[in-house]
Amino acid sequence: MFITRKSINRRSMLKGLGAALSLPLLDSMIPAFAEASNAPIRLAWFYLPNGIDMRNWTPPNEGTLPADLPNILAPFSSVREDVTVISNLTANWGRPLQIGAGDHGRALAAYMTGVEVYRTAGADLKLTTSADQIAARANGHLTTLPSLEIGLEEARQTGNCDNGYSCAYTYNVSWKTDTQPLPPISDPKNLFERLFGSDIAEPPAAHARRLAMRQSILDQVLGDTHKLESTLGPSDKRKLDEYLTSVREIEIQVEKASKSTTVIDPGMEKPFGVPPEYADYFRLMTDMLIVAFKADITRISTFMIGREGSTRAYPEIGVPDGHHPLTHHMGNMEMLEKVRQINVLHAQAMAAFIKKMKETKEGDSNLLDNSLIVYGSGLSDGNVHTHDQLPTLLCGRGQGYINPGRHMIYQRETPVANLFATMLDRVGVRPEHVGDSTGELAGLSLNS
Amino acid sequence: MQAPRNQGPAPVGIVYNTSMTRPDAALALAAMYPMEGNRESHMGSVCVVGAGFNAAVFCDIISRLYSFGTRNGNSELAVGLAVESGVPDSPMVKRAVEGAYKRTLQRVSDTSEPTAVLRNGVIFNSESVVILSGPATYLAKSLDLLGTKDLYKQRVKRLVIVDAGVGNKDAAALRKVIAEWPTPIFFCSKEVGEALRFPGADLDKDFSWAPAHPVVDAYKAFKPMPWDAPMYDVAATHYAVHPDSSFFELSPAGTISVADDGAMKFVPGSGSVKSIGIVPTKKADLLAMLITAATAKPVVPAPPGRGGRGGSGRGAFGGSGGRGVLPAIVAQ
Repeated sequence: MFITRKSINRRSMLKGLGAALSLPLLDSMIPAFAEASNAPIRLAWFYLPNGIDMRNWTPPNEGTLPADLPNILAPFSSVREDVTVISNLTANWGRPLQIGAGDHGRALAAYMTGVEVYRTAGADLKLTTSADQIAARANGHLTTLPSLEIGLEEARQTGNCDNGYSCAYTYNVSWKTDTQPLPPISDPKNLFERLFGSDIAEPPAAHARRLAMRQSILDQVLGDTHKLESTLGPSDKRKLDEYLTSVREIEIQVEKASKSTTVIDPGMEKPFGVPPEYADYFRLMTDMLIVAFKADITRISTFMIGREGSTRAYPEIGVPDGHHPLTHHMGNMEMLEKVRQINVLHAQAMAAFIKKMKETKEGDSNLLDNSLIVYGSGLSDGNVHTHDQLPTLLCGRGQGYINPGRHMIYQRETPVANLFATMLDRVGVRPEHVGDSTGELAGLSLNS
Repeated sequence: MQAPRNQGPAPVGIVYNTSMTRPDAALALAAMYPMEGNRESHMGSVCVVGAGFNAAVFCDIISRLYSFGTRNGNSELAVGLAVESGVPDSPMVKRAVEGAYKRTLQRVSDTSEPTAVLRNGVIFNSESVVILSGPATYLAKSLDLLGTKDLYKQRVKRLVIVDAGVGNKDAAALRKVIAEWPTPIFFCSKEVGEALRFPGADLDKDFSWAPAHPVVDAYKAFKPMPWDAPMYDVAATHYAVHPDSSFFELSPAGTISVADDGAMKFVPGSGSVKSIGIVPTKKADLLAMLITAATAKPVVPAPPGRGGRGGSGRGAFGGSGGRGVLPAIVAQ
């Protein structure tokens, strides 16, 4: 058999005047005879603020996940064979230790760095490189964006947000260096521009003109699109069409959100152009993440579901109170119930994202199978600020590495960084240290 | 949580690496909690290495029997366990574990990861001492964790290595610890423990304040009574917490030679390790004091600033042991 197919470079882009759009993974990008596992593994961390109502999170038994998952995890029932509940992990440096108050600042800052959080409300921040950025440093050169930081609350970088801990600690989960946090993008429009806008600086006048004419970014790259289509087979043509359609759909959603005049009281600083309802906001941002993963714009992401200590209210589900004040329920059942409702709302949004990842085909597999996605927090009980027995859900299979559908209970005090070290190992990144990790998590893989 | 700075010095933390296979280990653990109640020391963590799950359960039972309140943001003391295949459960703890004592540990996953618990035990307190009695495997491993050697350098006042005459089961790890440990090391030889024997005939009387006691169960299960157990770990614990007491004297500096079978020997000369010896004239007083400490009743932790270290309380190793005795310590 003769092999005549010419492969397209994975990093090819559709280019136009002042615009460039990454391409999804096409069959033509996979060299002939290449293994099906050529698709990269994506890593993502979704951070939950304020802990979880653990009574409604933890499955009662170790082993295969039952069909009737605990209430907060119930939204994941239909994908339970693709997720792993991991119990007993600890973020030790989130604890009060000799310092005292400031659990929210430490919870987030220590979660993915695994080191002591230097208490300051000034500019003299001190932490270390977070797990995602260790991966980005090693593998980021392989994609257009080394990593992508997304959040659903506008990030503050200065000021005292928690008992002498800088707002930089409570708003940023990703840290590029000891002193440099990577603020999450919370504005859908900015995220869209970051992903699909341009590598090439669009001249301001052209940018303004495109916006005024309500031109799609797809119009900008139309010529290149036609050229590429003429070289593709039917399968790739369909994939490209699906991809461009999804980009356009997101673009329309972003445009719609930016024009929304709906007034809500989310109890937080609402970024301009944000969908008023939480679920819509979450979906819009994760839709973009899926496209970014599919198009291999990035392979590494963090996603702040809320900043640590978030006071966001959720009037759309009948919870007009702030999240953080509710978590200090002191056993008040009414407040606990509202916390549970917020936890369920977050889980529903996350589960919908996970399902969409699974439905997104990639070669013979799907995006979820080729991913390792953490859904977790640096706090377990938000009422008393415990930093052990953390809620942790690992979604995906890491390309056949993980044997999911189980509840794994590790020894207590096992650093959550051990999970992150395991994830990094899966993408070939093996630094000397990953925070306070003491090793990898045994038993997660099919072979252990 | 530490006492506020203006309320006296914080008690020194204890990190105890034990195999919990000998009565002196049980007696030492029983001594540590009254010391905590008297603010002489504070339990950082206990790590069981070289024994099975039941040894960890035994430590948990002692912790439940003697201690109160929350620690370090956890509801119970973290008990580490090196989960290694082929390690048999200690017969010594069988009776206590099968008894009706309250326990938190029900399954291996209720124990803590050993390397993390040793390191975290040091992190929990501004000053700590480490007592190495069990295999050195995980203490050695902890030295390679990010920033941990520096952490030990800053916070660990001293490491006391106990020789109970049975050798350390991980000779390579022990050599690594001796070579790389960043703070002073003291060697508590088997001769020290063997010179200080607990009077087995007095066991029931000394623990008569409790209707049933896991240490009594363990002691009796170890070998046919009556017999007098050498107090290796009890002596080491006392020195670790009270190095400036008048009971001990130190050798000139040297090192610990570790044979391939784990047998230890103090070698004077090069090195910075010092060997602990008993001041001959104080041996009887020391023995009496250690017995009192190991059999002391639990006490309600004194509030910070009242009876703190150097304060009014004499403490478990000081012999009073009676302040704030709790009424409900019976096995349940």
